Amino acid sequence: MSVPAADLIIGPLEPVTAEAAARPQARGWLRSAEIVIPGGILLVLLFFCFIWPLVYQVPKPVGGSLLTTNLPLWSPGHILGTDMVGDDVMSRILYGGRVSFEVAAAVQVIGLVIGGLIGMVAAYRGGWVEAVLMRVVDVFIAFPSLVLVLAIADSLGPSEMHVIWALSAFSIPAFARVARAATLRLRDQPFVVAARLAGTRTWRIMAGHLVPNMMPQLVTFGMLGAGITIILEGALDFLGYGIPPPTASWGNMIATGESFISVYPRYVIVPSIFLLVTVLCLNLLGDGLRSRWGVR
Amino acid sequence: MAGATEAATGAADLDLASGPLLEVSDLRVTFRGRRGTVYAVQGISFTVEPGRTLALIGESGAGKTVSARAVMGLLPESAQVTGSIRFKGEQVVGRSEHDLRDYRGRNVAMVFQNPERSLNPTMRVGTQITEALRSHLHLDRKRAHEQAVELLRMVRVPAPERRFYEYAHQLSGGMRQRIMIAMALACGPEVLIADEATTALDVTTQAQIMDLLLDLQRQTGTALLMISHDLGLAATYAEDVIVMYAGQVVERAPAKELFASVRMPYTQALLDAIPQIDREPHVLLPVVGGRPPDLSALVPGCPFAPRCPGVQQDCREQAPTLAEHEPRRWWACWHPLNRAAQ
Repeated sequence: MSVPAADLIIGPLEPVTAEAAARPQARGWLRSAEIVIPGGILLVLLFFCFIWPLVYQVPKPVGGSLLTTNLPLWSPGHILGTDMVGDDVMSRILYGGRVSFEVAAAVQVIGLVIGGLIGMVAAYRGGWVEAVLMRVVDVFIAFPSLVLVLAIADSLGPSEMHVIWALSAFSIPAFARVARAATLRLRDQPFVVAARLAGTRTWRIMAGHLVPNMMPQLVTFGMLGAGITIILEGALDFLGYGIPPPTASWGNMIATGESFISVYPRYVIVPSIFLLVTVLCLNLLGDGLRSRWGVR
Repeated sequence: MAGATEAATGAADLDLASGPLLEVSDLRVTFRGRRGTVYAVQGISFTVEPGRTLALIGESGAGKTVSARAVMGLLPESAQVTGSIRFKGEQVVGRSEHDLRDYRGRNVAMVFQNPERSLNPTMRVGTQITEALRSHLHLDRKRAHEQAVELLRMVRVPAPERRFYEYAHQLSGGMRQRIMIAMALACGPEVLIADEATTALDVTTQAQIMDLLLDLQRQTGTALLMISHDLGLAATYAEDVIVMYAGQVVERAPAKELFASVRMPYTQALLDAIPQIDREPHVLLPVVGGRPPDLSALVPGCPFAPRCPGVQQDCREQAPTLAEHEPRRWWACWHPLNRAAQ
């Protein structure tokens, strides 16, 4: 009677263990692809936007010849053709990409540093400090974001710097919320309590124990935020509150191309594809890092 | 002869300092929450003497950890602490976080239960030890490093120079707990609280860590307050034992006498619940039936009455108070066990 019972126990166990042994490998490969593919595409884009124009003779993004307007794709010397004023589209894409990446990076870094600090101090200090800081943050979050950005951009006037500050107005509160949640989770972890017991000063606890442990969460959030920032920056450009032409940006390329959409749809489609691929890669990379680092 | 004189002077020194290091009296901790008030600790008193080991025993929820945290000044703001906790005569209750900085670590230090989460995963373990040394003893980087390696050697971490640079995930549970002990001992505390310090470890490692703690205690003269739910551990390593139930002390005695003959039925029930190898196989373990009382709804009578096998009418009506019924033996029970007829 006891022998079949033992068989019953051992029987179904074996395939389970075999599968369990095989699974981590497959998932490991998939998980690294999740990071390597979008990360690689982004690196290639960054290389072509920032480094390629320095080492290779790229046509200027402005001041093109009116003799060569509206050249089609794959024209000699102009891979993506030229636009209605004769500027090289590829060059405008690269220089426009610089703007997108710069704005996205600046807005996320400003948000991470200032918002992260606000959220961390609020959660760690607690009491009235937290109440005051977080209510201010709540007000910013409750405000209709695009309207706020338009108002800021409108009153400050169109320029890259102003776009950065306008968009930071809500990357900061968003990061503050994330940092607060992360700090609340970490604050009562035994190692933070142990550091407090060891007499470690508050700023050292923040720098040494809180910041390194919430970085994964903030960085993943920043990746997803960068995608949103690029879209918002494009929207601002499109509405005329962003980077003013003739400086190239993906947003204003779409805006100026819009009037020609029935004749030359490529003026809208080409920058849109770059916008789409960049934002998609940022989102995928954010998700990939999130699952790699086990961030919720 | 010289040795005898030395011993005598040593004894005299000990006499001078023989006042209790830590004196807790009528400590009460209540938590006011949305769903009522929880009376977590209801007037407990005990003293910790230099160089001795005191064990605080009880089920989870008995108030052991809350008491220990009160001693460290570590309770959240929602906790109301009354009564007094004196370290060498100085009041600890009501001190500000800033005032507590020197007291914690230098006077009283604590080792936590969970070595998994007690170390920062992003920081080298050595740095976590030097942090305490640098903030309390104001050592420079180099001296702190030397001292930390010395501490690692003291807690018997093999290859301390190398371990200094490792991260928590590279160490075993026992090794991590040794690091925690090194951190706690860094500034030479006079009282060390070990809050279930060995609970998460396997039995062999547990014995190693306890032996280490007692060895270090012998070397440094630190008083040890061990908090545990493990009576066996207390019997082996502690000199005095306090048994807590429902936020109160129900029995207190020197360990040897306590385990020779238990007075309080609750302590007996805890002892009976320890699995023993010579017990008949396939017989149900005599666990303590029922559940500990709800600490937010206090009822008259002995708190253990609903679960007590020897409960009588008077137990339900009036709670017995803790009193020294025999020399050095305290209990709170109307009908104690194992007493010779008087």
